Amino acid sequence: MLKKIAYITLFALSLTSCNDALDDINKNPNATETPLAPYLLTGSLKQGADLYWGSDNNFNSSLLFVQHWAKIQYTEPDRYDVSNTSFTSLWNTGYATLITDLNTILKFPEAQANSNYKGIALTLRSWTFLLLTDAYGSIPYKEAGQKVNPAYSTQKEVYTGLLEDLKQAQSLLGTANGAVTGDLAYKGDIGRWKKLVNSLRLRIALRISDKEPALAKQTAIDATSDAAGLISNNSDTFKFTYISSPQQNPASAWFETRDDFRISKTLVDKLNELSDPRLPVYAQLPSDATVGKYVGGANGLSNSDANSQGFAKTSKPGTYFLTSTSPAVIASYSETLFNVAEAVARGYIAGNAEQLYKDAITASFNQFGITDATAISNYLNQATVKYDATNYAKSIGTQKWIAFYGQGLDAFVEWRRLDYPVLKAGPATVLDGQIPSRFFYPGTEQSLNGNSYQAAVSAQGKDLLTTKLWFDAK
Amino acid sequence: MKKKLNRYISICILLISIGVNAQETKPLIQSKLEGTVIDAVTKEPVIGASINIKGTTHGVQTDFDGKFYFQTGQKFPYTLVVSYLGYKKTEVVVNRNSVVIDLTQEQNALSEVVVTALGITKEKKSLGYTTQALKGKELSDTKETNFLNSLTGKLAGVRITNSQGDMGSSRIIIRGETSISGNNQPLFVVDGVPVDNSQLNSVAGVAASRDFKNAIADLNPNDIETLTVLKGPNAAALYGSRAAHGVVLITTKSGKNQKGLGISFSSGITISQVATLPSFQNSFGQGSNGKFSYVDGKGGGVNDGVDESWGPKLDGRLIPQFYSNGVAVPFVANPNNVKDFFNTGLTFDNSVSVAKSDDKSDFRLGINNQKQTGTVPNSEVNKTNFTVNTNYQITKGIKVGVNANYIVTDAPALPGGPSGNRAAGVMLQFLWFGRQVDINQLRNNRDVNWNNSYYSNPYWNAYYNTTSQQRNRLIGDIHLDAKLAEGLDFKFRTGVDYYNDRRKYEIKYGTNGTPFGSYAEDAYTVNEQNTEGIFTYTKKINDDFTVDALAGFNIRNHSDANNYQKAPRLAVPDLYTLTNSRDPLTSSNSLSRLRVYSAYASAQFGYKNYAFLNVTARNDWSSTLPSSNRSYFYPSVSGSLVVSDALNLKSNTLDFLKIRGGWSEVGNDADPYQLATVYNFQTAFDGNPIQTSSQKKLNENLKPETTRSTELGLEASFWKNRLHFDFAYYNTNSFDQILEIKTTTASGYNSQLINAGKINNHGIEIQLDGNPIQTEDFRWNVAVNYSKNISKVDVLDYDKQIQNYTIGSSGGVDVLASVGQAYGALYGTAYQRDANGNIVVGANGLPKADPTKRVLGHYTPDYLAGVTNTLTYKNLQLSFLIDASVGGEIFSGTNRTGTYTGVLAQTLPGRDAANGGLSYYTSGTTKVLVPAGGAPAGSTVYDDGMIFKGVYADGTPNTSVLSAQEYYKASYNISEAYIYSSTFVKLREIKLAYNFNKSFARRLGLDGASLTAVGRNLLFIYKDAPNIDPETAFNTGNAQGLESLALPTTRNFSLSLNVKF
Repeated sequence: MLKKIAYITLFALSLTSCNDALDDINKNPNATETPLAPYLLTGSLKQGADLYWGSDNNFNSSLLFVQHWAKIQYTEPDRYDVSNTSFTSLWNTGYATLITDLNTILKFPEAQANSNYKGIALTLRSWTFLLLTDAYGSIPYKEAGQKVNPAYSTQKEVYTGLLEDLKQAQSLLGTANGAVTGDLAYKGDIGRWKKLVNSLRLRIALRISDKEPALAKQTAIDATSDAAGLISNNSDTFKFTYISSPQQNPASAWFETRDDFRISKTLVDKLNELSDPRLPVYAQLPSDATVGKYVGGANGLSNSDANSQGFAKTSKPGTYFLTSTSPAVIASYSETLFNVAEAVARGYIAGNAEQLYKDAITASFNQFGITDATAISNYLNQATVKYDATNYAKSIGTQKWIAFYGQGLDAFVEWRRLDYPVLKAGPATVLDGQIPSRFFYPGTEQSLNGNSYQAAVSAQGKDLLTTKLWFDAK
Repeated sequence: MKKKLNRYISICILLISIGVNAQETKPLIQSKLEGTVIDAVTKEPVIGASINIKGTTHGVQTDFDGKFYFQTGQKFPYTLVVSYLGYKKTEVVVNRNSVVIDLTQEQNALSEVVVTALGITKEKKSLGYTTQALKGKELSDTKETNFLNSLTGKLAGVRITNSQGDMGSSRIIIRGETSISGNNQPLFVVDGVPVDNSQLNSVAGVAASRDFKNAIADLNPNDIETLTVLKGPNAAALYGSRAAHGVVLITTKSGKNQKGLGISFSSGITISQVATLPSFQNSFGQGSNGKFSYVDGKGGGVNDGVDESWGPKLDGRLIPQFYSNGVAVPFVANPNNVKDFFNTGLTFDNSVSVAKSDDKSDFRLGINNQKQTGTVPNSEVNKTNFTVNTNYQITKGIKVGVNANYIVTDAPALPGGPSGNRAAGVMLQFLWFGRQVDINQLRNNRDVNWNNSYYSNPYWNAYYNTTSQQRNRLIGDIHLDAKLAEGLDFKFRTGVDYYNDRRKYEIKYGTNGTPFGSYAEDAYTVNEQNTEGIFTYTKKINDDFTVDALAGFNIRNHSDANNYQKAPRLAVPDLYTLTNSRDPLTSSNSLSRLRVYSAYASAQFGYKNYAFLNVTARNDWSSTLPSSNRSYFYPSVSGSLVVSDALNLKSNTLDFLKIRGGWSEVGNDADPYQLATVYNFQTAFDGNPIQTSSQKKLNENLKPETTRSTELGLEASFWKNRLHFDFAYYNTNSFDQILEIKTTTASGYNSQLINAGKINNHGIEIQLDGNPIQTEDFRWNVAVNYSKNISKVDVLDYDKQIQNYTIGSSGGVDVLASVGQAYGALYGTAYQRDANGNIVVGANGLPKADPTKRVLGHYTPDYLAGVTNTLTYKNLQLSFLIDASVGGEIFSGTNRTGTYTGVLAQTLPGRDAANGGLSYYTSGTTKVLVPAGGAPAGSTVYDDGMIFKGVYADGTPNTSVLSAQEYYKASYNISEAYIYSSTFVKLREIKLAYNFNKSFARRLGLDGASLTAVGRNLLFIYKDAPNIDPETAFNTGNAQGLESLALPTTRNFSLSLNVKF
């Protein structure tokens, strides 16, 4: 009997003993250890567009600060009643997703990613760093992704570093440098990527123009004279076009379930004042048909006051922006023309600033489907629209602000830099009448990267919404 | 490694063959003996007492009538050793063929036999560490649907936290948190089979996420014979990797002691009421700035989209409301509008068991059904347990058996809706509420709601937006016990814990915020298998020395799998299938497997029955570690000295004195798949696959974690066991912890896996048990336990770059393991204060937040205590338990939200003149106090002025007037304002039990009967935190000390009848 049992025991043992190597058991069946460049590229474009166009950094923060949109419910962010847990996604997704994935492409051997993948990765990485520094100020740049506790670089270091990075990206990109797949923005058209690189260089040149005019000028000259050229028509515009649910435009997805945003009264009033034909594109008529006109929601109201404006009596943003296939525009032809106009106005390069200004507005009209030449020229010839050579910042600032509708982060940074249009904080805002000048650093920086954070804050100024950043000198 | 393992297996085989060759012997019958064992006082038969013939291994047990029978090779006279748990061991010399043996009860049996690691029973006095046990009846009498709650306050050093409501989880922690990031709950072992106690789907810090019941709550307390807690690594070292947090050993009932057919029937009913609802104000209704009028509930009327109670006074003025179709109706308070939403919960618990044993076999079959309808409308859980325990003696010396427990849980709707939907949290809506809302109007028409900006009707949510759960679980094993030779036994067991857990989340078409509804299915499969073989050897070397040794192996396989699919928007209403979808399904799946091989041995050396030395050793090989670090060894040693025997100190005062001590080390492996960094796929975009970083940098050089623990203790009893005292001190260091440390994402990763971290826990435990009064009919017993644990996070990373590890977050407060602090620091925003500690306000009179976050408290209590008084008069027993948790803090989201929204009673002061509000008028945007001469003509005077106690930046006292609404909203983002001490003293339990005496029962044709009434969670004798039960949490994870809109805990009353045929 005992023998039988011993056999059974042995049999049971043999069933469970180390036939399978323990190493095999610990091979992760849920994910891959081998990334592929085109898949990472697609992911970076999609996630970058979501980040730029989604709620956290766009319509629930920067788009409210520049008074493109307003809140009719949950008005805390519109009153700047936010904390250092409010602006974490730009930081976290920017670093841990975009920059990390793009660095993975940059570190691939040639066999896994050709030079064009790397040029594109470096361009997108530069764009990400640019978003970060524009919003927060000093940021980990040189040591980002290198250390557990990366030190922060100053804005000056970041902007100048990015100019070098973009120069390198330009040299990596070449039509003969291999095919690229997974490129949902330009479908592998390297010529257009090269144009984008130059347009971003020009963008950065103007960012630093008040602080580093010599470098700004040289950069403007280099960028505009580069053989690849700048973004030169609306089809060159760098954008990400969404498809249907669940890959729909983030603003469209938001409005499917939520109803807490309206177009801002500030913008509606301005567009009415200028008889701007973009108003029906930017806004919808209120759902209560008796209202019969575009009504913006006021910014910075208490929840109850905002609510009292009536959900049905105020205008939602235009369907152009709330359709599932609406694009996330990231760098437009119109913006590039405004930038060239300003570079001329600043005397960096030669040209006709007024004409460029008009072209920029025209490009914006075209971008939103308004092509009627008479309507455009009527608009441009209004005294209120006419280019003011004595105050280019006002003309360009105001029109750029209108053209940037929906591009909250860029509208926010250019409004701070050009100081036009003049905006007024809403009545229930909590910053003593000021409008934010930056984002809070994520609160987790204090606990997770404390020393670097403290060093950055002591150099830059308190980690407050109202602290002016380096580029925002004036 | 493989070589090593093979060698170890060959040793096993060798040992088995030795066993096989051992000769069986058949004794010659020399005498027959019939006897009865009875209680010396009650003269009732003692059932299941062990009777051994001294000097032999021959032993029997008494049957249901206390009778036993021997056929033996011994000749009269010989000595019988009679023992039974709770009685003094007695030796009787017999010289004829019948005997009646009196056993005397011991209140605190010194020769108590306790269950230790691997289910081995040992004399308590021989142990070098503490264990504490509870009888099954103490668990089943309470009728708790989660039996862990029954342990609260009864065991020293054991902290139980009932997470939420009446269908939620409970967390058990023994001697503090020894792992910074991992599971800190003990291992559960049922009849030798390690069983799973996960809480699947718990997302730390997400307030709205569901609190599913932890898996061990599946067990039916009616099936539990004893529950033994092995506190910490010293007691549990033989369990190895999983012993660092202690072990809870559960022995289920068997038919072993049941001579003849025994049928038990137990029936109970429990009534539950919500116990801790917030205290609401009833003077002001919905609205803002004193104004409200309903049109569409979303901003169409006056403040009718506002879900706060800063509206008009509830003085009966006429205002249109949500049910009145625009007609102005009286605006009055509905003080019980939240309370009336909740039902009285009812639980029916019925079980039947049949048991029998004879010379060769025993069995017990049990079935239990529990049907619970909860306090939240429509919530319901049904659970049925089927159990089988059976043993059969195949041949002399060889016994085989099966234990099986099959559990079917079917919960058609759990309280609170599917997670991630703001509108579905039960308490959320009530803390953003109109105090005038008539809940009956909502109950009568689920299609309307008091507010349509944010919520659906609470009954709509309860009845239509449901989370259902179905779980089928099998816990069981087959086992074999073989006597190989004199003193040498072999036990083999292979056991399984396997379950499927399916949840279905339905959100109805037309729900606020989810207009198309949604449907999701979430399925888990968990499988834990253990196979073990143990040789035990007991030898009395001579009169002075004994040896008791064991050696064994274990093979553990664990896997869990999850599959989640969701139709984000339904195509047509009310059809909950995955194909009824407008969009592509979102889905995810995962599979996780691990395997651990272990070999272990232990030995106990006894000297003169008063000095004992115990040593253990174990080696594990885990699949989750890199091959170079895969094998890890750890030893333990402990000793015990019965000083009273050794030094002959026994006197009339001192009965017993024992000192004990030990040192142990245990290792721990990692979770699976922590070695290689991976990339995840996301939903492809228009045919383009998407890959992205998992944001987690893993570590290919992981080492096992190590926990070292020292324990010292003393036990004494006095005055013939009238007083028993047990003291324990322990010091536990856990280091090389495998930490998924959050890093700044600027490092490229959200988290990185490091192998560092050191945490120290030390503390004391005191147990006192005394009988101040003891007469033949009456006994008063007091049992006290006290425990204090001090933890300190010493190091996170060895480079000392990282100061904080984030365990979880809610409402702006992080729970941290912070270097130099006790575990579980609550870290958040504080008021800005001047040098004198005054709160600094801005020019507008609103308090300022300090831009630097700081530690605002810790969730870990300073000490726990419990006192049980038991009064027994003849067959009637009354006991009551008071327990206390002193120290520690909790961040209360309920208070934060309810203060902001003006629904809580604490927002009443200052809201009008009657409540002490200041009179003011407005001049521009500033509020000016009405001067003695009155306000300027034509200005409106308000009487809800308040001044925040604080100073301006220049140090002068604040004089800026705020409206009450502004005042109470001012601290919403200042976490410090909502941190409370979590100290409480609770009247936890009152129990009244009546045992029908046996002769009476027999006249009714019964073998025994008892009636028990229990009240649980009765009242707070003291608590600091208003409006909440401070004994609450989101789930069983480590992110405790956070509360947000928790479901109220319940007060339970139960009545149960136990009958034996």
